[in-house]
Amino acid sequence: MSNRTIPRLLQTPAVLLLLFWMLVPLGMTLFFSFIRYFLNNTRRPEWTSPSIDNWRGFGNYQYAWNQDAFWLAIQNSLLIVCSILFLTVALGIAIAVLINRSFRGRGIVRVLLISPFFVMPAVNAVLWINMLLDPVLGLQGIAVANINDVILGLRDAPLVGGFFSLWPKFEPISFRATQTSAYAVIMMVTWQWTPFAVLIFMTSLQSEDQQQKEAAVLDGAGAWSQFRFLTLPHLGRPIAIVVMIQAIFHLSLYAEIEIVSRGNGNKNLPYYIGELVNNNIGAASATGIFAVILANIVAIFLLRMVGKTLME
Amino acid sequence: MAIVAQHSKFSKIAMPVLAWVVALIFFFPIFYMLLTSFKTDADAVKPEFLFSFTPTLENYTNMTDNYDYWRFASNSVITSVSATIFALVVGVPCAYAMAFDPSRGTKDILMWMLSTKMLPAAAVLYPMIFLTKSIGLFDTHFLVIMVLSLINLPIVIWMLFTYFKDIPKDIIEAGKMDGLNTWGEIKEILIPLAWGGIASTALLTFIFCWNEAYWTVRLTTIDAATLSKLIEGNRAPEGLFFGRLSAVSTAAVGPIVVLGWFCQKQLVQGLTFGAVK
Repeated sequence: MSNRTIPRLLQTPAVLLLLFWMLVPLGMTLFFSFIRYFLNNTRRPEWTSPSIDNWRGFGNYQYAWNQDAFWLAIQNSLLIVCSILFLTVALGIAIAVLINRSFRGRGIVRVLLISPFFVMPAVNAVLWINMLLDPVLGLQGIAVANINDVILGLRDAPLVGGFFSLWPKFEPISFRATQTSAYAVIMMVTWQWTPFAVLIFMTSLQSEDQQQKEAAVLDGAGAWSQFRFLTLPHLGRPIAIVVMIQAIFHLSLYAEIEIVSRGNGNKNLPYYIGELVNNNIGAASATGIFAVILANIVAIFLLRMVGKTLME
Repeated sequence: MAIVAQHSKFSKIAMPVLAWVVALIFFFPIFYMLLTSFKTDADAVKPEFLFSFTPTLENYTNMTDNYDYWRFASNSVITSVSATIFALVVGVPCAYAMAFDPSRGTKDILMWMLSTKMLPAAAVLYPMIFLTKSIGLFDTHFLVIMVLSLINLPIVIWMLFTYFKDIPKDIIEAGKMDGLNTWGEIKEILIPLAWGGIASTALLTFIFCWNEAYWTVRLTTIDAATLSKLIEGNRAPEGLFFGRLSAVSTAAVGPIVVLGWFCQKQLVQGLTFGAVK
């Protein structure tokens, strides 16, 4: 028996399972994307079963490409993912630097900070959209009402009363509405994933070269230039990894969008496909293939960026 | 010690205070959920009872009647534990071979496995519904277990690979000299040595399975529905049930958050594939 046989055998189950998992459903999607296939169609009942006789060529792709909702969904996907990436990396670095030095209660601070990361997405969304962001019953509504009361009271105050009577009455924002629901999703996911970024940046900062920093101080470097020229370059690899892992997770956000607005206005690509799946399977599959292509572009870009560092 | 001297006032007083403020802000939503879970549904929406109220346990004692919590919770436990075990059973031998007997293709296989994580789930949603419904697997524990372990398998293999890579090859070679076969090497040498790595991989996989909210929502209806499905189905848009919703949410995330506290360090090594230490 050759000495390569056993290692291959050990890898076979995992590779076969993943191949099956990837190829079978994807192959079916590819097939469905070229046929007319509807779950309900009383006018043309022959289209309700997947058959090669209903061949449509690239018709589904053309249809999918020409939908405004498709482009809106891509736009929303990118808006949501890019905003979250930017916010989590920026906040993550700031907080990691903040808690890098030891201080009283640092362990507790760490535990409190990391907690949101382990909250399940469904609970995260329900918690934020109802109890925190609801314009009437949530904390947002309560806070806005209180601020308005305070301002109302101050209008009668001597001296400053004239100033406050110029202030408008604040209106709470409804985050279930079309334009704002994406912001609610960005907020809740940022809350959940900033701890992850903090944890990774913090770990990386622990290994920063302290002697180099002291030398920089002796050379007269201020806090900002130390950060800019020593800390930030040191964080390059962790930033790349945080971006890659988050991109994997956030391109497929679903539960948050479903819970916040049932996709009312802020559909991202997975949600949009999920809606098409309710009837027009052909178009859903063609859109799915577009999503795969988009994900591949992102994946090639990210793996290039991170792949090498992972293999060292 | 020049740095400390330079901004001692700022770093000694302002930074810890700021750190505490930030930490409390981040924890506040969870605290608020916990707090609300002890209010009655009527009290939960009244601003005057925001922080002072008569605590009640009724939301927790009524959880079974209101939501059938334990059925969903036991589904979550069954599927997450089984999926974790299955992923490890498949992943440990694979990562073992990759770490100790790498071939030229190993790196490519690892990269390919990671890239399967990037396949958008939505693109294969309908085929999965179609396939599982036609072979009668839709809404079964078996299906959820398989899907959960397959979506996590790439990360499991990556994590194990990075742990195994750090074990000196000589030890495994010594085992070979002693006449151990492959199974013996894994059982007698690898698992005892890499026990910590395997345990933290298992812990993280379990957390990911527990929190998964795409396939568990779309591929189940009742029989195999997990806690994600329960919460997603009871989003309470009118806010009439904040109290009981908070209780069931707290029960769903509580154990996992506490579990997470204990594996922060492993989380970093695991999720960054050992690239950040």
